[in-house]
Amino acid sequence: MKTKSFGNKLVASPYIVWSAIFIIVPLVIMVYYSLTDTNGVFTLANIAGIGKYKKAFALSILYAIIATVITLLLAYPMAYFMTKMKVSSQRMIMLIVMLPMWMNFLIRTYSWITILANTGIINTFLSKLGIGPVKLINTPGAVILGMVYDFIPYMILPIYSVMSKIDNSLLEASSDLGANSFTRLRRVILPLSMPGVISGITMVFVPSVSTFYISQKLGGNKTLLIGDAIEYLFNAGPDFYNIASTLSLLLMVLILISLAVMNRFSDSEEGGVVI
Amino acid sequence: MKWLSKLYVCLIIFFLYAPVAVMVLFSFNSAESVWVFEGFSLDWYKSLLFDATMLNALKHTLIIAVLSAIISTVLGTAAAVGIEALKNRIAKKAVMTVTNIPMMNADIVTGISLMLLFVFIGKLIGLHESLGFFTVLIAHITFNLPYVILSVLPKLKQTDSHLPEAALDLGCTPIQAFFKVVLPSISTGIATGMIMAFTLSLDDFVISYFTCGHYQTLPIVIYNMTKKTVTPDTYALSTLIFASVFLLLVLYNALQTKAEKRRG
Amino acid sequence: MKKENIVELKNVSVSFDGEKILDSLDLSIKNKEFITLLGPSGCGKTTTLRIIAGFLDQDEGDVFFEGNLLNGVPAYKRQINTIFQRYALFPHLNVYENVAFGLRVKKMPENEIKEKVTEMLSLVNLSGFEKRSIDTLSGGQQQRVAIARAIANHPKVLLLDEPLAALDLKLRKDMQKELKRIQQQLSITFVFVTHDQEEALTMSDRVVVMDNGRIQQIGTPQDIYNEPQNAFVADFIGESNIVDGVMLKDCLVEFSGHKFECLDKGFEENEAVDVVVRPEDVDIVDVKSGMLKGVVTSVSFLGVHYEIIVDIGGFKWMIQTTDERFVGDKVGLFIEPDAIHIMKKSEYSGLYGDYSSYSEEMDHLSDIIEEE
Repeated sequence: MKTKSFGNKLVASPYIVWSAIFIIVPLVIMVYYSLTDTNGVFTLANIAGIGKYKKAFALSILYAIIATVITLLLAYPMAYFMTKMKVSSQRMIMLIVMLPMWMNFLIRTYSWITILANTGIINTFLSKLGIGPVKLINTPGAVILGMVYDFIPYMILPIYSVMSKIDNSLLEASSDLGANSFTRLRRVILPLSMPGVISGITMVFVPSVSTFYISQKLGGNKTLLIGDAIEYLFNAGPDFYNIASTLSLLLMVLILISLAVMNRFSDSEEGGVVI
Repeated sequence: MKWLSKLYVCLIIFFLYAPVAVMVLFSFNSAESVWVFEGFSLDWYKSLLFDATMLNALKHTLIIAVLSAIISTVLGTAAAVGIEALKNRIAKKAVMTVTNIPMMNADIVTGISLMLLFVFIGKLIGLHESLGFFTVLIAHITFNLPYVILSVLPKLKQTDSHLPEAALDLGCTPIQAFFKVVLPSISTGIATGMIMAFTLSLDDFVISYFTCGHYQTLPIVIYNMTKKTVTPDTYALSTLIFASVFLLLVLYNALQTKAEKRRG
Repeated sequence: MKKENIVELKNVSVSFDGEKILDSLDLSIKNKEFITLLGPSGCGKTTTLRIIAGFLDQDEGDVFFEGNLLNGVPAYKRQINTIFQRYALFPHLNVYENVAFGLRVKKMPENEIKEKVTEMLSLVNLSGFEKRSIDTLSGGQQQRVAIARAIANHPKVLLLDEPLAALDLKLRKDMQKELKRIQQQLSITFVFVTHDQEEALTMSDRVVVMDNGRIQQIGTPQDIYNEPQNAFVADFIGESNIVDGVMLKDCLVEFSGHKFECLDKGFEENEAVDVVVRPEDVDIVDVKSGMLKGVVTSVSFLGVHYEIIVDIGGFKWMIQTTDERFVGDKVGLFIEPDAIHIMKKSEYSGLYGDYSSYSEEMDHLSDIIEEE
């Protein structure tokens, strides 16, 4: 049976060619670089050499996990309270939350220096009270704060959008069946909002674990994250492309694994992101 | 309980906007400091007007954003239509997986892998400088495409499959049916995709950083500025960008509300 | 091909995923008739319609339109229009533009379009609705717009794919009359698809009963009801008691252990047959004067009549009567010769006709499932 559908699958072919050249091939080249030396000869030396970056990897993962957890803890109540508001206010708050996303994240990160520096706003205020100066900038805490700040909208929005679609009659049904507001949250809202939580977690974890700017600006040069290492090596010139490719590849594998783990929790078929 | 939740929402908003407020405040600083506010002035905005690097970068950013948004919208819409028509489940799944890669992958990996490709091809055809306008443009189109496709696909799925059939039934050729019936019913998805592509492109730093060569976009210039000591002119620039995005969003929202009212 | 036929399907087969949806279908549709394709979901009726419309290509066989081969002719080149199940009105266009759609594609001059649209909207009683947007209309009004849009193109054949399924009962009855009126007024061929036997019987000149991708019977509504060709048709159209019988000779049949006079002839002697008796044709009498004897096992009151299930030697008969009986009553059944209809044995023999698992609730449930 031939169903005549209006859409012709051939119209996707320019895109398929495009994605083959600019998505698949670059990754293949990256694999090629990681398995060769500067002369293009096959070697496993790059992979053997990543031991040096163990600490950077561990730190990146640790910071990213802490930042993701804090972001989730801050964002979930926010999203929940948003759904309790009038529809018109919900819309406004949505805009307010989204707005900083459209501001360059470099500047957003940088303005924290003005706030956190030894001569910055907080310390100026503290010194007037006779305290301080407290060391705020160039600490792990500052880096994590930067991650939370930069990526929190990506956690609030998916959770909010899933939560706001929960059918109100379900909530009424649960009250009808005797659930108090806490049980309702735990037994109904929490499970139903999981897809939003999952996509929020991935949307915060992935940029956090791979960032290189936040750590440079807010962490001083003391905290070397994996993103910093990769950026540094690539800027050091073509001689370091091979090892840098290896690190990038490893970062990608790390992300893929965490995505796979997250996907086990959600059963969204296309693996798409809820925005 | 009610006021507690309101307080919480306000605190989060305060957290989100404190750095923005600091930035706006210091952009009006009369001194060259981003620590101590000495007095109000518009000097930094004036000096921006004469900053050739900055203006040039702004031009580059806009060119790339407009071009990449248009190209990725056309390519992506066609792709979505084609993907939706794919009957083979495995092929469909494969295409969707590849589509998700740039979206799920870390920007730094996407940026570097594209840069390696460009350098590789550049070496092959013997270019002295392989990175520039075209490479940023290609990179931006590449990371915009998934967002366009994922905005259009759900609209296509929602479209009643009998609509194009009804158009054929009433005498349209398949191409006429697409433009007269399918396109109008997925237009909101296309618009959303295009706006997303445009803003993502405006904002992108990481991928541009690895693929732009000497074709510097605004985020790259800002990055170079923040490498040295930052002066309030960076804040002035960001305030301007913030204000324009704010206006755009308000405008878009107003238009949307109006459209919704009209629809009743 | 006969002159009076506007559409002919010859030996048309379609399969999907290895499953035959249409199995060598032959169907002739006469010019200007109201013909209904009737059958349960999955019987192939919608597929037949889509082949005539040109949305689907048959794997084998030929389709003719006014004597010309229609194979491979795309939908937009056929003088056939369709009314879709959920109407498929264009949501981005208002009522006027929806009706004008086909005319604009044909590049008809603007003043003629205006005239035509006005005429069509008045035909479907929607004058004054020109500027309304589609989503402000009720289901019945959308239905009318869909009709106006399809007939504005002057099709020679109008295909209707379960157009009334989404309407509530009252509206459905009104639209049935309305469609019939429009068909007579325009005098064009209507090919109507439905799973609702009552709808098929009230509206059609001819009914095509389909099942499993094959036509089971074609005939006038009276033929289909009174002379079903096999157990499937007898069961699908109305209620039937279908029992195994033996044709002893012309006009004499034996079933349920009793010999009955009947009007049917032309069977072989002692041929095994299916016997159909409609529930309204059975009289309940006292046990002594009954031809068959049994016990009442269930009684339901349906307003017009009672529906009574009587167990006769393990076989449950359904009887519709205005006399009240009670569960446990011993009754006799009396059947007139003209109430008995004899059918040849078919693949459907033994599948239908016994009411032992019958309950109102089940019937209702299956209706809902079918409509989905």
